[in-house]
Amino acid sequence: MCGIAGILFKKPDSNHVLGQTLVDMLDGCQHRGIDSTGFALYEDGISGLRLRFLLPETGDAAPTIAKIKSVLAEFDAKVLEEGTAGCTYRITVDFKGDIRPFAYAMEHAAKLISLGSSLDVIKDVGTSHELDALYHVGAIAGSHGIGHVRLATESEVKPESAHPFWATGFSDIAIVHNGQITNYWKMRRRLERRGFEFRTDNDSELIAVYLADKLSAGEKLEAALSQSVDDLDGTFSFLVSTKDGIGFAKDRLAAKPMVMYEDDTLVAIASEEVSLNRLFPGQPLNTTEPAPGTCQTWSRSI
Amino acid sequence: MVTIDLATLSVREANEKLREVAALGQDIELLNPDAKHHLGVGLTTPAKVHIRGSAGYFCAGLTHGAQFIVDSNVGWGVGDNMYSGSVVVGGNAGAIAGVAIRGADIVIKGNMGSRAGQVMKAGTLCCGGNASFLAGYMMYGGRVIILGDSGERVGEDMSNGAIFVGGRIQSLGSDAEIGEVTPEEDIEIRDFLAKYDMPFEGTFKKIQSAGKKLRYSGSEPILRPLPYTEFTDQSSYWNRKVQEDIRVKASIGRYRIRGYGAAKPLPHLGDIAIKVDPNRIGIGPDPVKAVNLRTKIGDRHGARPLELSFPVMIAPMSFGALSRSTKMALAIASRLSDTVENTGEGGMLPQERAEAKQLIFQCLSGRLGWNIQDMQKADAIEIYISQGAKPGLGGQLMAKKVTKELAAIRGIPEGIDLRSPSRHPDIMGADDLVIKVEEFREATGYKIPISVKMGAGRVRDDIKIAYKDGFDFVQLDGMQGSTGAASSEVLEHVGIPTLAALQEALDGLEECGHNGDMPIVLMGGIKDGIDAVKALALGASAVGVGTSALIAGGCIACMQCHVGNCVVGIATQDPEHEKRYETHKQAQAIHRYLETVRWQIAALVQALGYDDFRKLTRDDLVAVTPEAAAMTGLPYDPSYREIEEQILTKVA
Repeated sequence: MCGIAGILFKKPDSNHVLGQTLVDMLDGCQHRGIDSTGFALYEDGISGLRLRFLLPETGDAAPTIAKIKSVLAEFDAKVLEEGTAGCTYRITVDFKGDIRPFAYAMEHAAKLISLGSSLDVIKDVGTSHELDALYHVGAIAGSHGIGHVRLATESEVKPESAHPFWATGFSDIAIVHNGQITNYWKMRRRLERRGFEFRTDNDSELIAVYLADKLSAGEKLEAALSQSVDDLDGTFSFLVSTKDGIGFAKDRLAAKPMVMYEDDTLVAIASEEVSLNRLFPGQPLNTTEPAPGTCQTWSRSI
Repeated sequence: MVTIDLATLSVREANEKLREVAALGQDIELLNPDAKHHLGVGLTTPAKVHIRGSAGYFCAGLTHGAQFIVDSNVGWGVGDNMYSGSVVVGGNAGAIAGVAIRGADIVIKGNMGSRAGQVMKAGTLCCGGNASFLAGYMMYGGRVIILGDSGERVGEDMSNGAIFVGGRIQSLGSDAEIGEVTPEEDIEIRDFLAKYDMPFEGTFKKIQSAGKKLRYSGSEPILRPLPYTEFTDQSSYWNRKVQEDIRVKASIGRYRIRGYGAAKPLPHLGDIAIKVDPNRIGIGPDPVKAVNLRTKIGDRHGARPLELSFPVMIAPMSFGALSRSTKMALAIASRLSDTVENTGEGGMLPQERAEAKQLIFQCLSGRLGWNIQDMQKADAIEIYISQGAKPGLGGQLMAKKVTKELAAIRGIPEGIDLRSPSRHPDIMGADDLVIKVEEFREATGYKIPISVKMGAGRVRDDIKIAYKDGFDFVQLDGMQGSTGAASSEVLEHVGIPTLAALQEALDGLEECGHNGDMPIVLMGGIKDGIDAVKALALGASAVGVGTSALIAGGCIACMQCHVGNCVVGIATQDPEHEKRYETHKQAQAIHRYLETVRWQIAALVQALGYDDFRKLTRDDLVAVTPEAAAMTGLPYDPSYREIEEQILTKVA
């Protein structure tokens, strides 16, 4: 019920256009989902650990922010920078400890949607251009990112149901997904038995946690993606992003579209070619459609 | 050569200009296409169109006669349902290239995605590179040529036509086999390749239908019909129906198929009473004059709405399930009662179009009888997702009814047990559906409403998709809906009752913050004006009647619709049986029935003290069974059962 897009610049001289590029690509496939839009961007020159929280829909944000700060203090995390934008509160901290207990504690404090040393997840109700106006996505420079437009069916139209999903408990991993995982509960219970927590009932979060678990055990992203094609049931085309790069996996039914374009400077993947063409207006592209049941990854070479 | 630049025009504007210029006999080039969807859709004049770049979904879809060249790639569904003409794609094609074509040449110089040529009927789909899995899936005819390799399960469930593969065949689909390439076929292929400048030196392997799967081995026995009361009897455990069912299964060794509607008691509109103080019944000499029953449906996005003289339309029923004479009678009756008829699956009959004042054209998964010319003659389009009698399944038409004429209209082989696919080739989710809806709007110039027919399954979610994907109205069909043929397991045990479906739909719309602009037409067991009033008061904007219109026009409810030997000439394609049907006499009977429905609605609306049916509200209703109360949330008050009887007597 959605459209996805992702880009990785192979050379840093393109980094300055990251935000604008993803805004355009998502605008290109906005017809696939008009309810909400989201971005996971890996930004240049960030020091410290960044966290982004959703603020309460109504009422005063101050108690929520106070609670966040008190939990940060418990972990001796020093605040470097903070600010609110749209329905979110972003805070950058200096924290050197174990991420998972810290992340779980923070998400118990408030609705945490992003945590990472370069990742920032920006998602809200509205279109790509509306989010750009509110969060200045277009101005963000970085090496890679993924994005999503969503048409809500089973869950409500709320910022927390929007993609990308951060891999709860793991730093700098995000996912966008088009499709439906039909063995969701089976997979989730397996992970829960091993102590993982889930923030939502959304099947996309499951993919993020599933992959993060494998990565933290030392598996390569490509191997984890390859295994996911076997382990996950249903229809899916998804993109995953880590601090180092991006990757995709596609189910064997190929029910959800995916097209990619790659040259010496970049790799771009999207639900539809119309999004890719936004990068090169007026220019026919030599695109390929990933084969059913395959996956691939790219790392930045900088 | 006229140049149209998509950098400065929207696709809608570009397509309008394209049609305009093509009509003047000019050739066209499209600049800056940038993989946009729906390029060229709806073009019905022979023109040359050169797309300088990539095109998106449904490039050249729903066209007739034009020749397209695309320099680079195309998205899903290139040449969708094309009748004649050609598309030559220089690059790759996405999934379902050449879907449902009826005669065109679709040439892909690069690779093509999965399910290429799905449900195609005629014409040629040619791929210079490799094809992904399920090429030729459920094809009914025509020719697929793959110069490279073919992916898994090529030719899956094809019922006719041929697939020629020059490279490696990864695996054969179910019911597909390797056949002999005849010298004539080989010459024809080489001629085709020469015409499109595709050199190929190798040899071809031919894949064809093994013909084992789409024929039922044992035919459905014709039995002594059980009276409907006995057929619906749930009281005794091993009743006659159960016994008969076991014996038939012992004889034919498979599931059973039958026609007609649900035959088990379910909570329904009869479990709701109209709540009125008997002392305050409004009466008048002529309720039909006194009460406004006129309504418009389908102008949510500025299309020309359907105009109903009263909020009742004819439910979709196909030529195929029904005889031509019956379809004619329904069309005539709908005109006489100034309402709307519906083609159902399987195409539009010219006489039906002529007789019906307003006609909805239904689009199903198999794209049987579906075409751009008739789309442009329709007053509304309906995308069938599923129906109440068999939600989640496609149509069934047994071989006896698949006559030569019918097969020609639908573009399928004669005499197969026709099973329409259970899902559309190009609708895998809400995200694809929105692109399909837009294609239909482009094809019909944004002039007529686009609706969706949904059987009652996950109505709460489905209606949200319908709302967000921009449908103009919804035809919602509950479990009590009837059908010409379905497995009895599904007919009686799958889906949710009409009453619950309507409530879920209303709740779903509420949850997605609608503003009351997407009407629901409720069907599935609506038998008279009283049911209609209850449905309208609950929140439907109109109702559809199918079975009751057939009964009014002579159906004896024997539940043997699937057999094809209908004794009154309704559910048959056999000329001898059809002779028994007196079209004009039955049209008058259906018309008289519809007029009583009109009168009933008017009289009840008046009885409730209103002058317009739109003033009916849920407050006018009460549930008389706990089940109906639970389904609808109406207050439960069984004492109204008696009061309603009094009111109805008094009004009548």
